[in-house]
Amino acid sequence: MMKRLRRLSFYPVLLVVYAILLVPVIVVIATSFTVQSSPTLPTNGVTLEWYNTLFQNFRLRNAMVVSVIVATATAILSGIIGTITAFGFVRSDIRAKETLATVMLLPLMISPVITGVAFLRFSSHLSIPRGLPRIVIAHSVLALPFVFLIVRSRLLTFDERLEDASMALGANKWETTVNVTIPIIGPALLAGMLMGFVISFGEFTATQFLITPQTTTVPIIIFNQIQTGLSPEVSALATTLVAVMIIVSVIGDRLG
Amino acid sequence: MLFVESLNFGGGDLFANYRDALSGVYLETLGRTLYYALITTVVCLVLGYTIAYFIAFKAKRQFAMLALVLLPLWIAIIIRYFGVSLFFLPTGPVQQLFGTDFGVLFTTRGVVIGLVSALLPFAILPMYNSIQSIDDELIYASEVLGATPLYTLRTVIIPLSLSGVVAAALFVYILAAGSYLAPALLGGPADFMMANVIEQSFTYDLDLAATMSVVFTVTLLILIGLFNHYANISEVLSDL
Repeated sequence: MMKRLRRLSFYPVLLVVYAILLVPVIVVIATSFTVQSSPTLPTNGVTLEWYNTLFQNFRLRNAMVVSVIVATATAILSGIIGTITAFGFVRSDIRAKETLATVMLLPLMISPVITGVAFLRFSSHLSIPRGLPRIVIAHSVLALPFVFLIVRSRLLTFDERLEDASMALGANKWETTVNVTIPIIGPALLAGMLMGFVISFGEFTATQFLITPQTTTVPIIIFNQIQTGLSPEVSALATTLVAVMIIVSVIGDRLG
Repeated sequence: MLFVESLNFGGGDLFANYRDALSGVYLETLGRTLYYALITTVVCLVLGYTIAYFIAFKAKRQFAMLALVLLPLWIAIIIRYFGVSLFFLPTGPVQQLFGTDFGVLFTTRGVVIGLVSALLPFAILPMYNSIQSIDDELIYASEVLGATPLYTLRTVIIPLSLSGVVAAALFVYILAAGSYLAPALLGGPADFMMANVIEQSFTYDLDLAATMSVVFTVTLLILIGLFNHYANISEVLSDL
């Protein structure tokens, strides 16, 4: 009885926390079905009209295509670089490894505004082409720590004797990598890459410095629409984004 | 590498920029940023610890409850802030239910609520990890020896989960301080934080923006350094 009571006393806090975590997303999704012309809860009927207008809007369709291209490219780029760095960290004995690992994680700690500003200056110095290349590289920098952490933790539990065994049985380095190493770290790498995809897909703060009129991503459009005038179309757009992110994360979860 | 880059283009200038960046409005903004981040951290720690404790010791469906904590992490932060603002808008459910929005939107409260909502998972996860790894035997021993639950909590559980608490505080603080979207979407002009001021000044005074970036980053790195004294960041991060 006392135990039960003590459990129950947690419930108000539980309610508050889960409300804080989940209500915002639920509200966004719910308001995308409203019949009114402003994003309200659909209290008198639902409609899919806003999704219809959404997909007829050329600018928005274009932004979605750009977002998917950028996120895919980011996943691949950060996946490759992150894996190579993780291997470097786990397999070698360089000094100051811990310090270097902390440096790897800096993009997590520095405000994305500063990352964005710094990257804009940096990329005009190096004359990296405007538009997609800049956005992809900046997103990769932001996604890198996650890929690095995920792949590294998999590598730490990697039994290197498996590679030795493969070599001892006559496979060369390349065969060992393809047949032994990659299958073992594959799921972690893929999970990291999907994480990179999701990060890139939702990134706004650093991206706002790097876009061009032709290469605008979905979060930028959402932000602009929130600032200029609310229509349930924004909710529909955001809901589409949520759907993509949840699908990708479920796939990632299965793998990781 | 980005840090060095930001130093290069900002640090090469005269000290005049630094005098600007460390005076008046800008210093005020820096103070406000650190203060908002502090409130957010405290709220997140209190709520997060309670939940982490509950999930670790009392919950029947641990997995489902953790999954619900993790779920928002996968959803873009801009969408979650958008949801918060829709919730409190004049046309939103709060207004419909209570007839008032409690003065949340475009005020400090709005910014803090938004930040808490966005960053709670980062507080819950590390604390859950460290509470979870406490040996049940120790708690049992404490109970057998006659300690009340509260005494056990204070002398056994909290000290043993301290590394998780420190990690959680660090995450939330850093992320809250660097936030651009929360003040931009949920706060008024008086609630602007460093990120917003840097973005604004970037368009008209590049050097000032650069200098502020450096000042801000250095301030946070000093704070991280202090934290790092108590808990190793990369160790903590790899737990996630």
